[in-house]
Amino acid sequence: MESNMEDKYIKPGNQERGWNDPPQFSYNFQMARGPQRNLLNKRAVAPEVFFGLNPNSVGSPGITPSSNPLASAPCGVAPPPPPTGRPPAGSMVTLTPPVGPLGSQKKANSSQSQSEPDVEGVVSVLDRALAACRQTVKDQVCNDVAKRLHLLEDSWRKGKLSLPVRRRMDTLAQELQLGHWDSADDIHRSLMVDHVTEVSQWMVGVKRLIAETRGLSPELLEPLQNPAESVQNND
Amino acid sequence: MSTYQEFIQQNEDRDGVRFSWNLWPSSRLEATRLVVPVSCLFTPLKERTDLPPVQYEPVLCSRANCKAVLNPLCQVDFRAKIWACNFCFQRNPFPPSYAGISEVNQPAELMPQFSTIEYIVQRGTPAPLIFLYVVDTCLEEEDLQALKESLQMSLSLLPPNALVGLITFGRMVQVHELSCEGIAKSYVFRGTKDLSSKQIQEMLGLAKPGATGPQGRPPALQEPAASCRFLQPVHKVDMNLTDLLGELQRDPWPVPQGKRPLRSTGVALSVAVGLLEGTFPNTGARVMLFIGGPPTQGPGMVVGDELKTPIRSWHDIQKDNARHLKKATKYYEALANRSAVNGHSIDIYACALDQTGLLEMKCLSNLTGGHIVMGDSFNTSLFKQTFQRVFSKDYNGDFRMAFGGLLEVKTSRELKVCGAIGPCVSLNCKGPCISENEMGIGGTSQWKICSLNPSTTLGIYFEVVNQHNAPIPQGGRGAIQFVTQYQHSNTQRRIRVTTIARNWADAQSQIQHIESSFDQEAAAVLMARLGVFRAESEEGPDVLRWLDRQLIRLCQKFGQFNKDDPTSFRLSESLSLYPQFMFHLRRSPFLQVFNNSPDESSYYRHHFVRQDLTQSLIMIQPILYSYSFHGPPEPVLLDSSSILPDRILLMDTFFQLVIYHGETIDQWRKAGYQEMAEYENFKQLLHAPLDDAQEILQTRFPMPRYIDTEHGGSQARFLLSKVNPSQTHNNLYTWGQETGAPILTDDVSLQVFMDHLKKLAVSSST
Repeated sequence: MESNMEDKYIKPGNQERGWNDPPQFSYNFQMARGPQRNLLNKRAVAPEVFFGLNPNSVGSPGITPSSNPLASAPCGVAPPPPPTGRPPAGSMVTLTPPVGPLGSQKKANSSQSQSEPDVEGVVSVLDRALAACRQTVKDQVCNDVAKRLHLLEDSWRKGKLSLPVRRRMDTLAQELQLGHWDSADDIHRSLMVDHVTEVSQWMVGVKRLIAETRGLSPELLEPLQNPAESVQNND
Repeated sequence: MSTYQEFIQQNEDRDGVRFSWNLWPSSRLEATRLVVPVSCLFTPLKERTDLPPVQYEPVLCSRANCKAVLNPLCQVDFRAKIWACNFCFQRNPFPPSYAGISEVNQPAELMPQFSTIEYIVQRGTPAPLIFLYVVDTCLEEEDLQALKESLQMSLSLLPPNALVGLITFGRMVQVHELSCEGIAKSYVFRGTKDLSSKQIQEMLGLAKPGATGPQGRPPALQEPAASCRFLQPVHKVDMNLTDLLGELQRDPWPVPQGKRPLRSTGVALSVAVGLLEGTFPNTGARVMLFIGGPPTQGPGMVVGDELKTPIRSWHDIQKDNARHLKKATKYYEALANRSAVNGHSIDIYACALDQTGLLEMKCLSNLTGGHIVMGDSFNTSLFKQTFQRVFSKDYNGDFRMAFGGLLEVKTSRELKVCGAIGPCVSLNCKGPCISENEMGIGGTSQWKICSLNPSTTLGIYFEVVNQHNAPIPQGGRGAIQFVTQYQHSNTQRRIRVTTIARNWADAQSQIQHIESSFDQEAAAVLMARLGVFRAESEEGPDVLRWLDRQLIRLCQKFGQFNKDDPTSFRLSESLSLYPQFMFHLRRSPFLQVFNNSPDESSYYRHHFVRQDLTQSLIMIQPILYSYSFHGPPEPVLLDSSSILPDRILLMDTFFQLVIYHGETIDQWRKAGYQEMAEYENFKQLLHAPLDDAQEILQTRFPMPRYIDTEHGGSQARFLLSKVNPSQTHNNLYTWGQETGAPILTDDVSLQVFMDHLKKLAVSSST
C-alpha cells in the first residue's frame, strides 16, 4: 500500500491517565519501521582506578551511533558554549535536517493534499461490493454488513468522521474496487488501530465485506470493478 | 578478546545461545572452583531471516534413551550409510530416503552452518490459534470504553481463522455464547463458588452432567460444535462480537461507599481454564485476562471489599500479616499448573493505580509463558500499544507468537543438566543426563513453554560430572543439543534443533584460556537469574549475601594480587565489567523491594527472567548515552559524574526511558534558542536523543514509560536513583571543573563497593 505521509505520525501519550505515558505511534509508522539505525547498547567501562586497565575500552569502538545528524559534524568544529550561556551558533556547518519522523511529520502536514473525499463515491463502491456478495453470501451476513455501511454513511454525512478517516476510507474503496484485497485490508487495520473510537461501530462491516468480496469469482466481481457497464446493464 | 567477542556474537546470532564459559573445565572439581556454573542463555525461537525451514522430519538416534537428532557433529560413513550419534556413540543406519547422500551431496542437517535447523512436521491435524478474552467489568467508564475499543481493534489483528471467546466478570461471571445469528446468550456463574473443571464443563453443556451435577443445564450435544458455541472463528463472529463488546456495561451491582467492587477474578479464570481444558486440551491457546483491580471475592481473593483495609504491602508480608496471600497464591498456582498441562497460556493485563494482586497471580503467566503488562489505565498509550504488539508480525508476515513449546536438552556424557529458569514448567522427564544438583527448575531434561516468542529466553544450567582423575582426552569436545517442538503461529508443527559443542580445557594448565573464554555479560545475567529465582523463596538479604559470596570467590579465583594487599588487585579484561554488573544488580528492583510494591516486584522479575541477554543486561545496568556539542553521542558511565550541565542524557532502564537535559541545556531550551535559525545545531542536539528514544519505543515490549526531564526537575529522580552515587553529600570535595551532580544518598558507591571487594578478595582469612 502506498501510505501517505499523513498516516505516519506520533502523538503524545495520555498523561492524564498514566504517568509518563509514552507517545503513540500510528499503524503505518510502526509498519514502516526499518532496521534500527542507532543501536544504543554500549556501556562505558568504569575508570580503571579499580583494576589498572587501560581506560580505552568503551564497548567495542566503531559502533557508535552514526547516522545521527550530529555525527556528521566533525568533532571540535562546534566551539564549546561560551560561559555567558548561549549555545554555539551553528552558522559554520550546514547540517542536514534530522531525518527523524518528527521532521517529516511537519512536511507531511504542509504537503497534505487538498482533495475532499466524496461520500457518494466511497459508499457506492462499498454498496456495489455488497451487491456482488449478495449472490453467494448468506442474507443475514449481507444484512449485517448493510446495516454497518449505513452507519458509516450516516456518520460521514453528519460530519462525525475526521478528515484522515475519510481520506483513508476513500483509498480503501479505491483499493477494493481495484481488487487489491491485501491493501484494502491493511487500510482497514490501520483505521482500527489509529481511529478505533470513530470507526469501531461500522468498520467490522467493511472488514467482512473485504473478506467476502475477496472470495468472489471474477464474473461476480465484474460490476464492482467496471461500474459503468454494470450500471448500463442494470438500467 | 576480539576473537572471543566475535565468536560469542556469531553464536548468539546463529544459535541463539550465550554460554558463561566458552571453554569448559574438564572436571567436576575444577568446574566448581570457577564459581559461575557452566550455563547458557538460550533463545529457542530466535528470529532468523536466513533460516528457511526444511520440509521433512528429523532423523533420530535409534537408542531408546538417547533419540538425539542427527547433526553436523555426528561422524558419518557415507559409503556404509551409517552415522554415529555424538551423544551416545550409537551407530545408526540412515533411513531409506537418505540413500543418495555422499560427501558432495549432504543433507542440510549435516552442514556446519546448520548447527541450528528447523523442521516442519506434517504429523497431526493443524489446530487454529485460540484467544479467550476474560474481561473485568468493574472498571471506570473511561477505562472500560478504552478497553472495549482495544478488544474490538484486536479482532482486526487476529488471524481470520483464529478462534475467539469472551468471558466477562464482576460480581458474577458470564460466559458468552458467540453465534453468527440470533440472540446473544450467556451462562452465568456465581463469583463465590469454587467449581471443579468437570462441573464447569457440565454447566456449560460441554460434558454429560454427572449424577451429582448441582445446577447442571440439560446436556447439550457432545460434538465439538458444542464447544464452538463459546469459541468461534473470528471471521464468522466478528460482527456480533464487535457489537457484544460495544454493548458491554460496567458491572451493574451497586458498590456502597467505602467498599471495593466485588470482583470474581478467581472464578472467572477457573471457568476460562476449565472451558479450554474441556474443549481444546494440548492445543495452543491464550487466555487474556484484563483487570482493573484486585480479586475481592470468592476463591483467589486477594483483598476484602472494605476500602479501609489496604491491599498487602511488603511490610505486611514480612510481618506475616497478609491474610489472603498464601491461599490465593495456592489457588492461582493450581490453575496455572492445570493450564500448563493443557498447553494453554495466560496473559494478565493489569491497569490500575493501586495494586491488582499480581503477586498472587504472577504464576499464571510465569508458568505458562503468558505476558504480564502493568499500566495505570486502559486508556493509555502504554497499554494500547503494548497490547497491539502482542499481535506483531515477523518478516514473513507470521505472528511473533508460538504455542505448546517443548524444550528438551541432551548432553554428552561428561555433562548433566541441573535446571532451567524462565517461563516454563518441568515435564518431569527422567533420563541419564539429569543432575541431582538442582538449579532453577530441575530434575528433568524437558520443559514445557506454553507460549513463546522470538525473544523468550531461558537460562539453562549444567554440571560437569567428569571425575578429577579421569581427564578428558586432549582436543575433546562436549556437546549439547536443544530440541524445541512447537506450534507455529501459522498452525504448523515445527521442531527446531540447535547443536553446539565447546572444547574441554584442563583448568590447571589452561586456566588463562578458560578465563579469556568467560562471557561476563552472559554470566552476569545467568547469575542474576539464579539470584532472582532464590529471591522468590528466600529473604532478600540472604540472596544478596549469596551473590556477594559468589563475586568474592570469583575475584579470588581470577584476580591477580598479593595476599592482604588490596592495592595490588587486578582483574583481566574478560572479567572487568562483571563486578560493576553485580553492583548494579544489587541495587536493582529485582533484588531490592524497597520503594516497590509486591506487585511491582513481581512484574519486574517476571520480565527479567524471560528476556534475551541484551534486554536483561539493560535491566541490570541501564544504558546511559550522552549528547553534546563535543562530538557524536557516546556511552558514558552510569555515574553521577556523567550528569553535566552542557549534556543531554538518554537513559534506558528497559521499563523507563529517561531524557535528561543538563542545567545549561535546559536554560538554553527555556530561552528558546532552538527556534532561532542561527542555532539550528542546538535544535538538532535537542532532537537527537528524541530520535534515538523513539527507535527504542518502537520495538520494546512492553512499552516503557517515557520521561522527559531536566536538571532540578522532580522526575530527574529516575536518573538520580540509578546512577552510581560517586559524589554524595558525604564526600563533597573538589572534583575539578566538571563536577557532575551529587546524589543525596547513603547508598555505597561503586568505589566503596570495589574497595571492599578487593579487600575481601585479597584477604587471607576469607
